[in-house]
Amino acid sequence: MSARNSTTRLRWTWIDAVLIAVLALFFGFLFWRADSVFSYNWNWASVLPFIYRFDEAAGKWVPNLLMEGLLTTIRLALWGILFAGVIGIVMGLARTSKRLFFRLIGTFYVMLIRNVPPLVFVFVFVFFIASQIMPTLAMGERVQALSPQAQQWITVFFGSPKLIDNFLLGLICLSVFSGAYVTEIVRAGIESVPRSQIEAGDSLGFSKRDVMRFVVLPQAMRNTLPPMAGQLIQLIKDSSLVSLVSIQELTFMAQDVQVSTQRVFEVFVLVAAIYFVICFTLSQLFSYLERRHARANR
Amino acid sequence: MVLLLLLILKGANSMGYQWKWDKVPRYIYRVVDGELIWGPLMKGLFVTLDIAFWAGLIAMGIGLIAALLRLSGSVVGSAISWCYVELIRNTPILVQMLIFYFIIAAVLGIPRQWAGILCLAFYEGAFTAEIIRGGIVAVRKGQREAAQSLGFSGFSMYRDIILPQAVPIMLPPLGGIIVNLVKHSSIVSVIAVFDLTTQARTVVSDTFMAFEIWLTTAAMYLVVTVTLSLGVAWLERRYRTT
Repeated sequence: MSARNSTTRLRWTWIDAVLIAVLALFFGFLFWRADSVFSYNWNWASVLPFIYRFDEAAGKWVPNLLMEGLLTTIRLALWGILFAGVIGIVMGLARTSKRLFFRLIGTFYVMLIRNVPPLVFVFVFVFFIASQIMPTLAMGERVQALSPQAQQWITVFFGSPKLIDNFLLGLICLSVFSGAYVTEIVRAGIESVPRSQIEAGDSLGFSKRDVMRFVVLPQAMRNTLPPMAGQLIQLIKDSSLVSLVSIQELTFMAQDVQVSTQRVFEVFVLVAAIYFVICFTLSQLFSYLERRHARANR
Repeated sequence: MVLLLLLILKGANSMGYQWKWDKVPRYIYRVVDGELIWGPLMKGLFVTLDIAFWAGLIAMGIGLIAALLRLSGSVVGSAISWCYVELIRNTPILVQMLIFYFIIAAVLGIPRQWAGILCLAFYEGAFTAEIIRGGIVAVRKGQREAAQSLGFSGFSMYRDIILPQAVPIMLPPLGGIIVNLVKHSSIVSVIAVFDLTTQARTVVSDTFMAFEIWLTTAAMYLVVTVTLSLGVAWLERRYRTT
């Protein structure tokens, strides 16, 4: 048994034959049980109308539940990574600051969120925020009061104005949660800038703040981009957790559709496939970009 | 953050909320007739630790098998392992749990708690597989060649040369996996396994003491995970290679 590295060729051996036999037996057993014990009627066609449906009144294809859930998920992910990035940069600077007070705040924030289960955090945070902050902000009413033009734009970027409270709740929750991980990424990025750079900046007469602004941060940001890409993918997956507090994203819609059609298998497999395609494509894209960037920089 | 906290406290006070911290301990433990009875929160914690323990054991096994499959030269083995890891890494754990419980466990007839344990094990197993594979691949190729030239082969090469060098590299991330197991075990509450999170939700819905109970639950998780993290850090220091 030799370790597989780039020069080892894959060979067909007796192990493959055994594995294929095992796989065939396993799936055969699964399908047999599904048929005989479960008596499941496969019906993929009944699920497809939940992605897009033909609206008779409007005379065109209108996104249905699953598609709207997907759009909400994408919006949560993109806005979430933006806000998490902002929170992460602020807290990352706090964690690497010279002053103990800021370091304590940053460390406390990161340790709190990283050591508490995501589910518990979502429940606690949403409970606190929904009952205290949201009424104060009252975004729902403010948005309803805007002109139809503005509401159109809001719909594209944030989702339907009726659900904007809901959306913002999920957004704040996910941003604060991801912010802790982004903080660590930013901290690692800042600490990865060699001390010689800071010393060179000092010797050239830069002030402490200018060293940070012109020397450290640009190099640090370049180092944080690959892990941030990974965090975006992680955020897309974490957005499924907020479905448990009734934020109307893809997983929530999946459970909705599953309950009304009883097509457990088709709905969940479809939704898992959607998540898989998105995350896998993004991760391949990012690693391709990384490789190109590394080659260009050599 | 301080502003947020102040806002929360102000909101809680303006709601006319009476903090009932004195009522919380009875959900953790009670002493009846000189006998210690664990309250629902503690029972939930025991279930959580139980789930995390068994899932961890099975995850290590699954990870080892998947890593070895990938490292062997077999086509089908590599393919299975790669598909498994990519599938788990690119789908949310909630969706995996729902699929596992509603489909796989229903078809194979697996009881509820074991469905949760197995799903968690498969989830963490993917990450474990990557860690083990990374650790083994990180051992320099020269070591392998030297071992082969000295007459070591196969199993004894792994046992005496490769693994002693690979394991210290693997230990820090594996420690992280153990902490993740405890954290992600809370996801079994969606299939109504009576772990700490489920018990907390039940107690909150019974007593409406949401603030106190959730803060207590978070504190309990914190105690467990921070202890585990400290233990892992101690292990790291002991087995540091450089």
